Amino acid sequence: MPAPASTSSPDPAEPSRPSSTLGVLRVYLGPLKWQVAGLAALLLTGTGLNLLLPQLLRTFVDNAKLGAGADVGLLARLAGFYILLAIGVQLMTAGATYVGARVGWTATNRLRVDLMAHLLSLDMREHKERTPGEMIERVDGDVTALSNFFSQFAVRVFGAALLLIGAMFMFFREDWRVGVGVGVFVVATLIAMNSVRKLGVEPTRMEREASAKLFGFVEERLAGLEDIRSLGAGGHHLNGFLRTQRTFFTNSIYSWRRRSVVWQLSMALFAVGYVGVLVAAVGLYAAGTITLGTAFLLYQYMSLVEEPIDQLTQQLQELQKAGASLFRIGEILALRSAIHGGSAELPGDGALSLEFENVTFTYSPGEPEMRGVLHDVSFHLPAGQTLGLLGRTGSGKTTLTRLVSRLYDATSGSVRLGGTNVQDVDLHGLRRRVAVVTQDVQLFQASVRDNLSFFDPEITDEEVEAALREVGLGTWLARLKDGVHTPLPTGSLSAGEAQLLAFARVMLRDPAVIILDEPSSRLDPATEALLTAAMSRLLAGRTAIIIAHRLDTVARADRILVLGDGEVLEDGPRAVLAGIPHSHYAELLRAGTLEEEGEGVLA
Amino acid sequence: MTTAPTSKSTTPPDRTFALSKRLFAYRPGLFVFNLFMWGMFHVAPALIILAVSRVFGQLDQAEILRNGGESVAPAIAAAWVFVAWFAVVRASRFGVFYGAFRAFIEFWYTLDALVRRNLLGYLLTTPGSRRLPDTPAEAVSRFRDDVEDVAMYTEVWIDSAGIFLYSVIAITLMARVDPLITVLVCAPLLLMVAFVQKLSPTIRSYRRRMREATARVTDFVGETFGAVSAVKLAAREDGMVAHLRSLGETRRHAALRDVLLTELIRGVNTNMVNLAVGLVLLLGANKIRGGTLEIADFVLFIGLLPRLTGSMGYFGDAIARHRRTGVSYDRMTRLLQDGSDAKIVEHHPVYLHSGPPAPPTAPSELPLEELRVSNLTATHDSGLGVRDASFSVRQGEFVVITGRIGSGKSTLLRALLGLIPVQSGTVEWNGRTVEDPATFLVPPRSAYTSQIPSLFSDSLRENVLSGSDEARLARAVRLAVLEPDLAQLPQGLDTPVGARGVKLSGGQMQRTAVARMLARDADLLVFDDVSSALDARTEAQLWDGLFSETDSTCLVVSHRRAALTRADRILLMQDGRIVDGGTLAELLDRSEEMRALWTDGESQGQGGVKR
Repeated sequence: MPAPASTSSPDPAEPSRPSSTLGVLRVYLGPLKWQVAGLAALLLTGTGLNLLLPQLLRTFVDNAKLGAGADVGLLARLAGFYILLAIGVQLMTAGATYVGARVGWTATNRLRVDLMAHLLSLDMREHKERTPGEMIERVDGDVTALSNFFSQFAVRVFGAALLLIGAMFMFFREDWRVGVGVGVFVVATLIAMNSVRKLGVEPTRMEREASAKLFGFVEERLAGLEDIRSLGAGGHHLNGFLRTQRTFFTNSIYSWRRRSVVWQLSMALFAVGYVGVLVAAVGLYAAGTITLGTAFLLYQYMSLVEEPIDQLTQQLQELQKAGASLFRIGEILALRSAIHGGSAELPGDGALSLEFENVTFTYSPGEPEMRGVLHDVSFHLPAGQTLGLLGRTGSGKTTLTRLVSRLYDATSGSVRLGGTNVQDVDLHGLRRRVAVVTQDVQLFQASVRDNLSFFDPEITDEEVEAALREVGLGTWLARLKDGVHTPLPTGSLSAGEAQLLAFARVMLRDPAVIILDEPSSRLDPATEALLTAAMSRLLAGRTAIIIAHRLDTVARADRILVLGDGEVLEDGPRAVLAGIPHSHYAELLRAGTLEEEGEGVLA
Repeated sequence: MTTAPTSKSTTPPDRTFALSKRLFAYRPGLFVFNLFMWGMFHVAPALIILAVSRVFGQLDQAEILRNGGESVAPAIAAAWVFVAWFAVVRASRFGVFYGAFRAFIEFWYTLDALVRRNLLGYLLTTPGSRRLPDTPAEAVSRFRDDVEDVAMYTEVWIDSAGIFLYSVIAITLMARVDPLITVLVCAPLLLMVAFVQKLSPTIRSYRRRMREATARVTDFVGETFGAVSAVKLAAREDGMVAHLRSLGETRRHAALRDVLLTELIRGVNTNMVNLAVGLVLLLGANKIRGGTLEIADFVLFIGLLPRLTGSMGYFGDAIARHRRTGVSYDRMTRLLQDGSDAKIVEHHPVYLHSGPPAPPTAPSELPLEELRVSNLTATHDSGLGVRDASFSVRQGEFVVITGRIGSGKSTLLRALLGLIPVQSGTVEWNGRTVEDPATFLVPPRSAYTSQIPSLFSDSLRENVLSGSDEARLARAVRLAVLEPDLAQLPQGLDTPVGARGVKLSGGQMQRTAVARMLARDADLLVFDDVSSALDARTEAQLWDGLFSETDSTCLVVSHRRAALTRADRILLMQDGRIVDGGTLAELLDRSEEMRALWTDGESQGQGGVKR
């Protein structure tokens, strides 16, 4: 199956991802420009109508104050017109909110997808640092905070800014002195708000960090509920939770307090602003410069200034949250996988030879004094042959196989597949050709089908069923009430069955190289017999590495490699090694067991 | 990943009240203080509008004086007085907000913490078997979103009091000016509340769909990253991303419906204000001519109406939020399963300002003489499981349970320990029936290591100790044959193990879990197939250590010779039943099944025989 070109492994030359706020806006709102334009039109019209309303009120007041001399017909017409305009404003706002939400969800769905693709492209070193719960918070929690920002930002911030400018223009039209006064007030308020806004960014980031920790903690404990309960450690973990929650509480309270400074400032400033306008209205009226209707108009327009500034302030809040989220998203997007794919392709169909040349590997390259996991490992495995990999627990067998599929890269030396250095090969292409059955089978709580196909709709049910039968899960499948669409029965699946499912996953692909990491370790001997036939079929014509604890598992191997403490103790054709009396392998055969106690054949 | 429909979907509204009342009573002083402060905060605008209306009233007065050719000075002076009143009320509202906001945040997050503590506490510590109804990731959304919904519901109550008071004051002020206009203006507002009421079941179902779609997204993200190495190794990143995209699309549709409906309601709310102002203008037009309605009254109406309409809308919204809170309570109750919903709001200390005290000490010791299991039956929905299992384990015995894959070995252990629901049968400890194995069979009586143990992202030391006495650490680590691993790890016992222990190898995780069990000094040690991640030699070392240094009783699931040869007794399982039991020699002699299991395992480690 060829890898789709879209999201292959990240290339160092790829254009840098958006890291600034504006960059993100451009990338994710750009494709939605028509919807955004429609949104702007709705907002403009709505704002214009909104500014007309107080004018109607002024005319009404100035006519009404005539008392008995007022023209009732005119007053009634004004009232009717007022109602119509009001309904218009409302329709525009509702439309704008809907379109805004649409834009927001569309844009952030894209961002979520990109974020997940990016996270998945990172190497395992990154994944070890984070719990799945934390990932949920990063891919969904942060992005949802952004979603509000995207959808609200356009509607509220843009709408509010329009209204604010319109209202200021109206003030100028009535009286330039009041206009200047209000202008100074608005500018000062916005500057003041913006300067206190930054107070909230860092605490908000810490709050989200604490929240990710808290939910990560909860998720892990829920996943390990049985272990905790059967060890009677519930109280202990509850205490751990309380401590984590306390940090979250402290951070949240602090962060809310810092953020609320914006609101408090706004209230204080507006108290001043309203008093100012009222003073101006009374003063100008007393001086005879304006009519009573205009005095009332000034007061009404002030609320048209208050509303948008209020909105802007509230959105500053959202902006802060979004800013903090963006910062974290930027952090993640800035992470680069230490493992990059090359452009080379593996030689076409069929088995590939595998070669290790002076390979050394350590999990912590920064600490040279630590002894690495693998030391100067070299061997050659011809195409189509099976290598039996032996060694004590911790001797580096699993690590060795991880270098082939490039979950990690060799610290020095090279690993070659079909003569091509694996580091030069396209990562996707490589992993599609190298199948791995790990010690720990990772399953999803999803249907049997999705577990085998990894949610790929192109794989048919029949293919899935065939794969299951091939690994001997036919009777198991027959018991499922909805066949392959049955949700994987969580908890009731034995580790052996899980192993068989992992085999079926491999069966669904057509890999060139197969790595079986202790495939039979969780199977009882009777069940393992089921696998033997399937395994023979699977290995035929393919290059394979088998790590096993049983001698009969490696009896099918063409070559044997014995690993001890990260070094190759022995490497050669199985038949030859068996014939050399003092070889490790021959000693094992004599002992009749792979891992003898006491004497330490493999140590 | 499926979100089953809420079976008991109808939360009686009084239940939400009762639960919330209990919740608010957690910090009664703070609740009352919030009520008081927010009450003042919401009432202040009425005073402010009153001042404004008086200002314009005085200006109107001045207009009359001016037209009459008199001095306007007294009216203007009076207007200034009201401007000062206005200034004072505005300024004090600012001070009230400062205090009210702090009080609210404290209250909100405290209740938030309490509900979360109760959910987790219940799952971690109450009797009976506990299994999550959904995935852990799905359950996290209960802890995140539903808890927040419930805690935020306080806002409804705290604001309601103040807003109600404002409404009463506003209506009184208006009615004193003109009762007829007041009635005509308020009637549509009431209609709107009725309208929202009618819509609320729809809101609820939209909301639920939206939540479910969100849960599916978060669930999927959790599942993906929980199995990230499998995804990467299979090069299936694209497929996973495509699936997320389609889940996101479903969620977007659900969200937009929710927005549309909410917006419709909000639209009706705000429209009402302008319609009401329009009505006042229309009705007032005549009265102004007749002189019964003055500019000041008019300003009062226009000033009071927006907030009054807002209040009505608020109450409509409050009803909707009340229902949503009911949904959240439903979902949390579902998480607790057999637990009553009252557990969610139970009062417990949450230790937000100081560290929690040491957890309660382990239950009393009750040295094991004999564990007897009689007629235990525990089946899964699929029909698989354990049927009618009876056996006993005496002090100091090493009993091995063996059998093929799917023969029910693990299920037997988990049923016995109360980790899964049991249909029938009894477990006796020294002849006395154990009512709740889940809480009884814990250290110091019994300890258990599962087939695939869960570790937590913390240091290795913390994982092993999990609250045990530090003094037991060294021995547990040695007996679990973890010492060679420690020598390899850069920071030894202080090594962080990573999320769910991913930084350790499968064998290291298993040995860590064994050490964790041994650090608890239990009488009965229950091992579910530790051999799966241990090589034969390590396993033999483990059993030998246990035999020589402890007098523990062991109940072990295994098919390894290292275990079988050491067994005092072997229980042979087939198709969910214990079909035979005895010593290895006896079983090999009389059981075909045992011989099959034994022969197949021949090459797999005979260390035990040599011992």
